[in-house]
Amino acid sequence: MPELNFLPSLPPALTPPILFGLLLLMGLLGGEVARLFALPRITGYLLVGVLFGPVGLGVLSSQLIKESRVFVDISLGLILFELGRRLDYQWLRRNRWLFATAIAESAFAFCAVYFGLRYFDYPPLHAALAAAIGIATSPAVVLLVAHELRSEGQLTERMLLLTAINSVFAFFSVTMLLPFLHLEQQAGWAETLPQPLYVMLGSLLTGLVVSFFVLRFAAWLGKREDRQFIMLVGMIVFTAGLARSLNLSVLVTLLTVGILARNLDFRHKLMAVQFGHGGQLFFVILFVMAGAGLRFDVLPQVAFIAGMYIVLRFLGKALAILVFGRLSGLRPGAAGLLSISLLPMSGLAIVMVQDASSLYPEFGAKLSAVVLSAVAILELIGPLATKFALKQAGEAGERR
Amino acid sequence: MTLEFTQSPAFTMGVELELQILKSHDCNLARDAADLLARLGKVKHPGEVKPEITESMIELNSSIHERYTTLADELRTVRSVVARQAELLNLRIAGGGSHPFHQWSDRRIYPTERFKHLLNLYGYLAKQFTVFGQHIHIGCSNGDDAVYLIHMLSRHIPHFIALSASSPFYQGEDTSFVSSRLNAISAFPLSGTMPLVESWDEFNAYFEKMHRYKIVESMKDFYWDIRPKPEYGTIEIRVCDTPLTVDKAALLAAFAQALAHYYLIERPREATPDLYLVYNYNRFQACRFGFAANFINPYDQQHANLGDDLIATLKKLAPHAVALESSAALNQLLDETATRRNDSSWLREQLKKSGSLNDVARLQSNLWMGKPDRA
Repeated sequence: MPELNFLPSLPPALTPPILFGLLLLMGLLGGEVARLFALPRITGYLLVGVLFGPVGLGVLSSQLIKESRVFVDISLGLILFELGRRLDYQWLRRNRWLFATAIAESAFAFCAVYFGLRYFDYPPLHAALAAAIGIATSPAVVLLVAHELRSEGQLTERMLLLTAINSVFAFFSVTMLLPFLHLEQQAGWAETLPQPLYVMLGSLLTGLVVSFFVLRFAAWLGKREDRQFIMLVGMIVFTAGLARSLNLSVLVTLLTVGILARNLDFRHKLMAVQFGHGGQLFFVILFVMAGAGLRFDVLPQVAFIAGMYIVLRFLGKALAILVFGRLSGLRPGAAGLLSISLLPMSGLAIVMVQDASSLYPEFGAKLSAVVLSAVAILELIGPLATKFALKQAGEAGERR
Repeated sequence: MTLEFTQSPAFTMGVELELQILKSHDCNLARDAADLLARLGKVKHPGEVKPEITESMIELNSSIHERYTTLADELRTVRSVVARQAELLNLRIAGGGSHPFHQWSDRRIYPTERFKHLLNLYGYLAKQFTVFGQHIHIGCSNGDDAVYLIHMLSRHIPHFIALSASSPFYQGEDTSFVSSRLNAISAFPLSGTMPLVESWDEFNAYFEKMHRYKIVESMKDFYWDIRPKPEYGTIEIRVCDTPLTVDKAALLAAFAQALAHYYLIERPREATPDLYLVYNYNRFQACRFGFAANFINPYDQQHANLGDDLIATLKKLAPHAVALESSAALNQLLDETATRRNDSSWLREQLKKSGSLNDVARLQSNLWMGKPDRA
């Protein structure tokens, strides 16, 4: 019998293209099924992730989740860049009450969670870190739900603006708190300070340099949307990869690029490019992988605290918006809906928990269970909350 | 049902301006009319601000004026108030007869009973009606004067079109028209002109008949280029695109006022059917070519360049402008006509310079709001 060594071993190895394609198809299916139940598509993607992830059938092993990191980074890059472009400095400058809303929204969410956890006797630093992570709303969820609904209006604009700002606040607060954790372990300032400083300044600087090149490149290309689209995708993927290689924060770097590309574009060279169908591909992957990464195992033990965490975080955000919203020109009745729309938490929080626990394992053991459980719950109800808020506000587009 | 023509002081004037609400980040049309109106309801300003058929529009109504200067001042004041409130909501306001690149299918009807009714009746035409016009009201002391004045002004409709034209772009394309907006209006079954009635009584007979046919409920159902507005005691010129600035809007009102003064005081002509034989030809030519249009004089069948005919008209109006204290305004229109440039020319130049219609929309909103711009 001749040797059939040209035949592959079975089953075929899950190479990145196979994986990418499969995730897309499964996500697509999940999204369409979700539509049947009037759920947001991204909830469908997430549930597919949960189903095939380690919690479910286990098709997506932790190894595969790690390997798909590149797709996730690209998706996050596209989203953060887009969100950064919604942070309009001129608007904040003209509408001081809006600026106050943004500050208060982050600060109150932090305080509510911090004092809540302190009340349940969590140590100050741990409580502060968990609270800092809770400042952020999920950029991916709010942006994609708004896109899916073709939502437009004051509530949508403010939701995106506040999300961009609270993401920045969350990251900086977490990064600032990390050295204190180190200090608690009796490490000296000399060992603890350089790392967060490097991440923050490095990410900002990289963002600044990239946005400078983006604007120059756009000026050179001229007003041609197809070319500018390719340029932007190229820049974003490159920057996301670069940030990862330099051990910088993909979040801060891309958000910085988006914010600066918008606010330093004095000559209006950059066009309002939509990522459209191309971007959609990556977003499916992003949420399937987010679903696969969700942890439900510790949920039962920390359900109460995780629930409190969610409620307090919501109350903090809502209080700020109720107090300052009207002053900033929000119509009556919209403040509550805006607060609801800011409920989602997601991958961003998971990344911050991981950063914290890798530097300080004890934190992981104590509080990451609470935060990750809260994230798991909010990943599932957050998109629904945002969709509900935008629809109730009458800002969703008409069905086509 | 008889329409009573309310008496109003002759030659008073007022304007309505339909304006575009834009999003700051891409300068596409926004959907924030309700929020903007709510804010404007809380601040003091002269005149009135109202919703229009889609959520991307608002309408400014001036109060009633006898003189051009007070009208211009008031419009500038309202302009500043509206611009300020829009900025607090991160919105922009722009003049211009059309938005350069919005897609009509994205529009949403402003939720009032009347607008919902119009959507049910007219289907997509209602959303395509997201075009922006200036209406000029001129006071008349009686209905017969109003009817006469409407016929006389029909000869000048091409002038108003060429002077105000500011809708060269529509749905992302250059239409080759200077005013593409009027094409959107021609689609409506009750658009066109008032029939050749000679008195208010005759008009009423016509209206009653149309009402008995149940074709119309009220005067609002006629989308004529010029129509009487009996409850205000005015005639309303509706062919102008909303100009890019409020200053231009005031100039156009001054022109209408001077024409009314000329015709009602001198009564130089009688209304004849010939006026309406050339009407659609002249109107189309003006929409398509602006000042360069060919113009047929209905009274002597002579062809002329529309710009030349407008200059001759403005010169003839000079003594009336003196009486109305609007000579400066008419001279300004004379100068503009001499250069043969209107707002459509400006918009096309901006596209050439900037290379994108998003920039055109941004620049036209800067112009309306009185904002300086770096590029």
